[in-house]
Amino acid sequence: MDPKDQIIALLKEADLYQQQGLLNEAKERYKKATDIIKENKSIKNGQGLIANIVKKVVDLNQKINQINEAAFKPTVSGQKQDLIQKLFAGGGEKDNQASLLEGAIALAKFGQFDRALSEFERLLDHETVRVAAAKNIARCYLEVEAFEDAARCFERWVNDERFTEGQLDKVRFFLQGRFRKAGFERELYQREETVSEDDIQTLEMESATNEAADNARSASPIEKQSVDLEDMELPEEEEFLDINSVGIMIQSGPQKGRLVEFDVSFQTGNSINLIISNKENELLEALGKGTQLNDMQFFSPIAILNGSGVVTSKTQIKSGPKEGDYSLDITILTT
Amino acid sequence: MATFNFKKREIECKIVYYGPGRCGKTTNLEYIFKTYKKQVTGEMVSIDTEGDRTLFFDFLPMGLGKIKGCDVKVQLYTVPGQVQYSSTRKLVLKEVDGLVFVADSLEVRREKNMLSLKDLHENLKSYGTSIFKVPLVMQYNKRDLEEEGIPLMPIKKMDHDLNRQLKAPYYSASAIKGQGVPQTITECLKRTLLNLQKQLKWAK
Repeated sequence: MDPKDQIIALLKEADLYQQQGLLNEAKERYKKATDIIKENKSIKNGQGLIANIVKKVVDLNQKINQINEAAFKPTVSGQKQDLIQKLFAGGGEKDNQASLLEGAIALAKFGQFDRALSEFERLLDHETVRVAAAKNIARCYLEVEAFEDAARCFERWVNDERFTEGQLDKVRFFLQGRFRKAGFERELYQREETVSEDDIQTLEMESATNEAADNARSASPIEKQSVDLEDMELPEEEEFLDINSVGIMIQSGPQKGRLVEFDVSFQTGNSINLIISNKENELLEALGKGTQLNDMQFFSPIAILNGSGVVTSKTQIKSGPKEGDYSLDITILTT
Repeated sequence: MATFNFKKREIECKIVYYGPGRCGKTTNLEYIFKTYKKQVTGEMVSIDTEGDRTLFFDFLPMGLGKIKGCDVKVQLYTVPGQVQYSSTRKLVLKEVDGLVFVADSLEVRREKNMLSLKDLHENLKSYGTSIFKVPLVMQYNKRDLEEEGIPLMPIKKMDHDLNRQLKAPYYSASAIKGQGVPQTITECLKRTLLNLQKQLKWAK
């Protein structure tokens, strides 16, 4: 393509990507256009064109920064918070405490901590969800690393008659464990009438079990009292990765450094087969038997993987529609 | 999982539009909201942010009326496509009954489509569900950009990339013009309700 036409096409693409909100892709196209202008000194008013492109890239960078700097989970309107609470409260009865707890947890997961805190506070009145609500209040503070606030909250509950000794101890063990993990040194007060040795032993065991479960759960820091699928570790399904195509970075010859993509004609386990046209002399030379392919991309419908492989055989096809072309077997070494 | 109120003969199910950032999930819902006034039972709620990117989700409630003696209500959701909102996507996906995967036809978005499908697969797996078992419809969006001379992937290639194993029904679309949007949602609803009928036996 004529460099001038190439530049026009790239700029058109860049403008469209920008309209689509694909800012990085737009930037990439502007960069390519600039490179072509720089390479072709004969292009009329090249410097002027580059200056215009630079302006556009500056605007783009500004937009990208604005997006990157926007709050990750900003506080939304009360109406929207109501909707989050309603939609994610699970299938239970509207006024059921477990449903209310689930709604409050959803608010916390969406980063609506102030509202979630007031919902959890209300739930402290209910015996069945009190411990879960208290732990979630603590978790809200821990999420934003407000350890001192979490500790103060607990100290308030120590003098709160709604909490039984057992409930308080459960929350204390949980919170103390979290503090330890975060490296925050703070001893939490107990009520004067302390629990028996037996009770402590039971609670320590329970706390250790809970902590192990918490460690296993990474995506869901806010806790629910009842166990559900989200809180369970599910067994991995055995799967067979079906590779549709591969990208191979050519490592020698005139095409060195070029990433070439091939469709996989068939696959058995970690061995894939490709067909290369006999017209591709340079590629065929670079892909001889025993060639180590250190930079490969494997495209499957569910993943793109980087890895390496080795050419285990290269044979010319003797008959059929692909007669004369080459059949290449590649063994995948790492992904 | 859908809720079925046996007493009221009412079923409520959840359809989620999934896909990479800026692929047109919200545009699909906006078109449905504008076009299906009769079926839409409430306002479309969008929680978006800087640059009109979906922040938490879009939500659109619909009522399909009586089907086989049962009042069918549908909640349509979109997920935020941006990579960093992974936990939010997972939350929205919880208890999904049907899925529309919106793929971007732009050549430059090929990898993003694949990564988003992988993310969907993993999030479903974390809920103990297989992507092969949830009613799923693929939509290859932004086909209108071909007229502008912008490099698009051929449908065949997109289907090869994303749908070779899944073998889900697919539609080419231009959500901004409404092309392919009704076919996609109709097919998804059909499959979802058939699946729920098998599980809940609501349409006896």
